[in-house]
Amino acid sequence: QGTAEAAEKIRWKVPVAFGTNLPALGDNIVYVADALKAASGGAVQFKVFEPGKLVPPFSITDAVKDKKIEAGYTWIGYDQGKIPSAPLFAARPFGMEPWEFTAWWFDGGGKELGEEVYAEHGVHPVLCGIIGPETAGWFRSEIDSLDDLKGLKIRFAGLGGKVMQKVGASVTMLPGGEIFQALEKGAIDASEFSMPAIDQKLGFDKVVKFNYFPGWHQTYTAFHFVVNKEVWDGLEDSTKALIDMACTAGVMRNLSHGEAIQGAVIKGFGGKGVTAGRLPENILHELQGITREVMEEEAARDALFKKVYESQEAFSADYKYWKGLAYLPRNF
Amino acid sequence: MEFSEILCVLMFMSFILLLFTGFPVAWVLGGVAVIFTLIGWLVAEHTDLLADSFYTIDWAYTSAVVDRIWDVMKNWVLVALPMFIFMGLMLDRSGIAAQLMNNFVRLFGRVRGGMAVTVALIGILLAASTGIIGASVVLLSLLGLPVMLENGYRPSFAAGAVCSVGTLGILIPPSIMLVLMADRLAMSVGDLFLGALIPGVLLGVIYITYMLTYAWLVPDGAPAPEHVEPITSKAILEMFWAVLPPAGLILAVLGTIFLGLATPTEASGVGAFGALLLAWANRKLNLTVFREVCEQTTKTTAFIFAIFLGATAFSLVFRGLGGDELIEAFLTGLPLGPNGIVIAVLLCTFILGFFLDWIEITLIILPLVGPVIANLGFDLVWFTVLFAVCLQTSFLTPPVGFALFYLKGVAPTGVTVAHIYKGVIPFILLQLAGLVLVFIWKDLVTWLPSVAYGN
Amino acid sequence: MTDDIRTASPAEVDHPDDHDRLHELLHHAELPHTAFSSNLDRQVRRLGSWASWIWLALVGVIVLNVTLRYVLGEGRIEFEEIQWHIYAFGFLLGLAYCMEADDHVRVDVVYEHFSLPTKAWIELFGIFFFLVPFAVLVLWYAVPFVIYSISINEVSESPGGLPARWVIKAVLPFGFFLLLVATLSRLSRVTALLFGWPAVRPRPGKNTVAKG
Ligand code: NA
Ligand code: NA
Repeated sequence: QGTAEAAEKIRWKVPVAFGTNLPALGDNIVYVADALKAASGGAVQFKVFEPGKLVPPFSITDAVKDKKIEAGYTWIGYDQGKIPSAPLFAARPFGMEPWEFTAWWFDGGGKELGEEVYAEHGVHPVLCGIIGPETAGWFRSEIDSLDDLKGLKIRFAGLGGKVMQKVGASVTMLPGGEIFQALEKGAIDASEFSMPAIDQKLGFDKVVKFNYFPGWHQTYTAFHFVVNKEVWDGLEDSTKALIDMACTAGVMRNLSHGEAIQGAVIKGFGGKGVTAGRLPENILHELQGITREVMEEEAARDALFKKVYESQEAFSADYKYWKGLAYLPRNF
Repeated sequence: MEFSEILCVLMFMSFILLLFTGFPVAWVLGGVAVIFTLIGWLVAEHTDLLADSFYTIDWAYTSAVVDRIWDVMKNWVLVALPMFIFMGLMLDRSGIAAQLMNNFVRLFGRVRGGMAVTVALIGILLAASTGIIGASVVLLSLLGLPVMLENGYRPSFAAGAVCSVGTLGILIPPSIMLVLMADRLAMSVGDLFLGALIPGVLLGVIYITYMLTYAWLVPDGAPAPEHVEPITSKAILEMFWAVLPPAGLILAVLGTIFLGLATPTEASGVGAFGALLLAWANRKLNLTVFREVCEQTTKTTAFIFAIFLGATAFSLVFRGLGGDELIEAFLTGLPLGPNGIVIAVLLCTFILGFFLDWIEITLIILPLVGPVIANLGFDLVWFTVLFAVCLQTSFLTPPVGFALFYLKGVAPTGVTVAHIYKGVIPFILLQLAGLVLVFIWKDLVTWLPSVAYGN
Repeated sequence: MTDDIRTASPAEVDHPDDHDRLHELLHHAELPHTAFSSNLDRQVRRLGSWASWIWLALVGVIVLNVTLRYVLGEGRIEFEEIQWHIYAFGFLLGLAYCMEADDHVRVDVVYEHFSLPTKAWIELFGIFFFLVPFAVLVLWYAVPFVIYSISINEVSESPGGLPARWVIKAVLPFGFFLLLVATLSRLSRVTALLFGWPAVRPRPGKNTVAKG
């Protein structure tokens, strides 16, 4: 027990937004909590509460703000209605690659912006997990042009949902548990939720057979450990460092885990009669155009959104030189 | 025992005891939550008893009840609840039950026990259209009891038949109880509706079988009427016309849910609209009816949600003190196998059902035991349907049995409480038999959802 | 097992309608009314009765939504949100309305055998130790909850959802405020019975339920 002689004792109830049974989407906080407990010799311990057990998933940041709970683990895109710039830190259409996002967060001023935006709401966000692109959705029939999306009843979240709405789809936000039933029964025609391994766990592959890629609407999905700012500021430096380290490790482990488990699932699609398709490039270009409109509208509406958006765009503009030259083309 | 565990036990015991003061359940739940927050807070402030645990709570923690209530407010699945209530009340006013009774009696009335069977069939139709227990029992009592008694049925048998058939509505979908259960356990409402359909109808069939057997074994218990009109093609046609509206409504509600044309919420609204049209077609619709149905919908919805709000505060504090883990440790620590644990839970539910009604049990007990049972590897839909069948008996078990009490309120003179109690006993036993069947043949629940998903 | 488990019997129910009979069957303690309670109750009842019409609106919105979706192939998230706005408004305003009608669920297996003064004492203690603390707790924390929503100009988190979130959020403290108002009225009836203050006021009409 020698390592933790000076560590302050932390016993926090930590509510999460996604079930810890969901691979990559929800299980990362368990890794982080276990790592913290072990590294601190038992001084820093989290008790993870499944979605809705303490506070509803959409209210985690709110509850942290009011110190109802010290901390939570969530996808801050859910704060969209309260903090317009929040989705940029969580997922965005035609955004960065996952490691590009972490580069922006850790080295491109993202962390400072995130902390600035959330400081106003009394919350300290710690990037604590990230996964790669989601699928572009599960569809009942093939998608060959934007017209095929028009009039579709589709479940779509976040900024991507706004794009879909502009395309002419009727967008709805079903809770995760109702998606399968709604898809199966035709109450909706299509849905996105997460990556293939997670979607499979929810059974989408059983009922709709066209799974489209790439995940244009969420090129990265980042998760944050949100701590009440007063609580965070009051922590000893060693504890802050411990949490920062565990979360940074969590980011790497989460990205790795998410990448590790998708291939096998997609490989198995054939046996289940699922077609994995790519949206044609012309559709993607059109969607990108509409995305730009949506982003500019949002930027005009909210100064902080504009600031964060411009920071991301500026970072990506520079990163592009490296990205375009350094990596092998994707089909190698 | 850890101090937090002692607090949990005390909290649960105080809740149960305080309920019997007769103060409204909703406020007892909310009040107990506040009192135990105060205790937890004082203990944490002034002692070290909770220091090493995750189970310190304070006012800020309990204030998360606001976020939880907000989550109830924006829950669009639960929108179905007031709509099904509205539909039930409107249907109650539409006069279709009376039409059914008149027409069915002409067909089945000639058989021994036929009138009880008529009541059962109407009960099943009403149950599948909506299922407000109070309305069903009162309606069936007013329509069926006098006819049966006039024809020499034994009061106990007639009363038992009306009570038990009237409670089928809570099990046969659509059902507000199943909507609430699905919400609490984060399950699909449609799955639960599909899962409960066969067990619900099966219970109806068991009742009818019992009624016919009883009439056959006890000839003067449920005799055939002395003067019967012959069955004419006209009577058959009229019955057909009488069955058409409720059948249409059932199709509109259940059909659209099961065929995937609508979500349960949409179906509930369309069903409410359908009931409204039926009432209008039967010339029963006027401003007074409108107002009374709307007002009663507000009150019924409010008393269910009041308990919901109290329960959400109670669970928050109970959970904050480690109550969930305590229950899980207790259940999994029982010297029983997984099946034994399910039986133990159902037995407790059955016993609680004597004193509490479905709302409290659904909102407090089910969320505590559901996850434990799911962790044991059981199908949650199957377990929830078992739980629902078990709760259905709570309507019939004295001293707090709502069906009994509604029946007593409107029963003709000559039907005593003794008759009612005696009459429901065989039906409670039949329900337990149904419970055993569902327990043994899980397929009764799981088959329909699995077929619907085309596996 | 006694025969008189419920006080209402068909003979006492003069209203011919089944619907009202159902209502008559609910068990109520016949506390006396005071001038104060009559006034407050009238307001609560008026508000509740008025608010009840929204269920018709809810039916309308759902039918409209379904029609748009399945006939015209057009789904509107606004309509889906209006649905739960209406429902939340309905059940929160209903809390006070239900309180006024004394329709909140009680476990009355023992309660029904108590004398009226005993029931009144239970009501007094219940109001002070359970109902008021709970309602005050919710109210206390719901107000800043609404103010925060106003201060950040919160809108729906769904694309295309409704603006002005604070409006529906404000229904929460409003509903609990009304509940406290209805509680105050009931409290005056309890103290009128127990302590003779405020003065009991005879109420026209023998029956407090069939006011429809
Ligand atoms: Na039903
Ligand atoms: Na009972």
